[in-house]
Amino acid sequence: MSVSFQTSPGTSPTLQASGVRKSFVSGRVESTVLHDLTLDVRGGELTLISGPSGCGKSTLLAILSGLQPADGGKVHALGHELSGMSMRALEHFRLQHTGFVFQGFNLFPALSALEQVELPLSYMGLDKTTARKRAIDSLEEVGLGPRMSLRPAELSGGEKQRVAIARALAKQPELLFADEPTSALDAANGQIVIDILHRIARNHGTTVLCVSHDPRLVGHADRVLAMEDGRILSDHVPDVSQPAAPEAKEPSA
Amino acid sequence: MVALARKTLVHEWRRFLPAILAVGFASLLQLLQAALVLGIFGSASVYITGSSGDLWAGYPGTQSVNLGRPISEDIAMRLRMDPDVTKVEPFRWVDADWRGPRDTGGVSVFVSGIDTSPDALMFSKALPPALRARLNEPGAVIVDKADLDSLGVTIGDTAAINGQRVRVVGVSSGLRALGGVNIVSSLDTARVLDVAPEDAGMMTYFVAKLRDPSKAKAVAQRLNGSDAFGPYTVWTAKDFARQSQLYWMLDTGAGAGVLFLAGIVFLVGAVITSQTLIAAVIGSIREYATLNALGVGRGALRKVIMEQAFWVGLLGIVCSVVIGIVLLIIARNRSVPMELHPLTAAACLTLSMALAIVSGLAAMRSLRRADPASLLR
Repeated sequence: MSVSFQTSPGTSPTLQASGVRKSFVSGRVESTVLHDLTLDVRGGELTLISGPSGCGKSTLLAILSGLQPADGGKVHALGHELSGMSMRALEHFRLQHTGFVFQGFNLFPALSALEQVELPLSYMGLDKTTARKRAIDSLEEVGLGPRMSLRPAELSGGEKQRVAIARALAKQPELLFADEPTSALDAANGQIVIDILHRIARNHGTTVLCVSHDPRLVGHADRVLAMEDGRILSDHVPDVSQPAAPEAKEPSA
Repeated sequence: MVALARKTLVHEWRRFLPAILAVGFASLLQLLQAALVLGIFGSASVYITGSSGDLWAGYPGTQSVNLGRPISEDIAMRLRMDPDVTKVEPFRWVDADWRGPRDTGGVSVFVSGIDTSPDALMFSKALPPALRARLNEPGAVIVDKADLDSLGVTIGDTAAINGQRVRVVGVSSGLRALGGVNIVSSLDTARVLDVAPEDAGMMTYFVAKLRDPSKAKAVAQRLNGSDAFGPYTVWTAKDFARQSQLYWMLDTGAGAGVLFLAGIVFLVGAVITSQTLIAAVIGSIREYATLNALGVGRGALRKVIMEQAFWVGLLGIVCSVVIGIVLLIIARNRSVPMELHPLTAAACLTLSMALAIVSGLAAMRSLRRADPASLLR
């Protein structure tokens, strides 16, 4: 695996957060999840945000991807300012530019793998042939070419997650967000999934932002941001020589 | 476009079955109720709809055909004087009391005294000429086959009407009456059976045939102009039939009952259907949320739900139509008065589809829970 410092200064960031704040109120208690967080994410690399649960990493992902508004600060994605956009404009932005992979695979039980992937494409206004071709290409890219006519019930967990990745990938997004994509998978399947995500970043120049507390992923990322209590503690390029070393689990700044 | 709504419906049919059945039952109930009401109250006007007269002349202000009062013979003259009238025929209605040979007690009967000639207007659609000719025998009567039991007779039996001897010479079908039993006889027999002295020599209605039936409305209006021949009103057959049916429907409170029941059926059906659809939406809420995360708009997701509601409605309606047709055939074979016009059926089915659509709208609200941010854990 080739990890280098080409990801450092030079490549312009595709995703920028500056002074992002978010807090939740439950009852009378207001708890701040993100404290004036500033962050740049660059294209063509897999950026991993890791940290213990409750550190605010999923909230950060939601804000960076336009799923949730921040309480303060600004988010720039591909030159668009997300903070002021209406719900409809955000939906349109997500439709055109983003892909998502979630911990749960969230596949429609009634649809075959191919149809799962085609479904969002048809809403993008692609014609049937283009959509079909893109869906097939994406499924082949994640190694599911021979199984694309199967329904979720006939697929293993790892295969389902690969369908979910193909569904995101077929949109040819500039931004691909993954939330705990390997948490529900065994080691082998987790490995396959993270490899695919990494490959997508390399081959398509996609900005892949992955949130996970899975220590196995650290060695596969181009850049690892360690988060705790709503702040980024460290930002480093993982050591390739020891990909999944336990000490890489909680890097200190 | 991937047919998400339809594929989900087929794949998860068990989930949608209660909704389909709810729409189906609601639709079937509406259809049968309408058919039954129309059938029962349609028999209030069987004297008019079973005959081929274009105009009916009767006592002024008569609200329903069974409430006719004697009118003067002169009115027949007035009708004949109109250039558009080709034929005028009397119809004598006698309210009477029946005593059968078997122990049936008194039965209230309506005797229809009609012209027995083969080309007569009265009951031309209900009685074939051969059967009609048998009425020429004095004291001969025809009863509906569905009434044989309640009258306690079979063909050939004798009985008494208003104390006069009559003989059953044949049976008809489709001549059941509301609130009593129809008996058909010749005009002469009816005159003998009519014991009320003030009715002597008086007919109840005069039925007229027109050269051009499409002019019925205009001719009726023209004839209603004068009272020179005694008091009377002329109706077109269609108006008088509708008036009689409406009278019964409103008089018995059945109209309000029908509307009330339709409302209940609609409400219950909508509750079951919407709950089922809501459960289906909630069952797929994470998938919908994922689509929304990928940028598929709420509007597009709502459309999927509405499409599902539409298919549920359509399947329910198809079920109800199939079962409804079977039941209507059975009912017809058993002389149950049921009648369904295409327009009424269409109205019932539209109501059922509206039920499905309203349920879809209710289910659409639960899409609000499809928040993609909730998928991030």
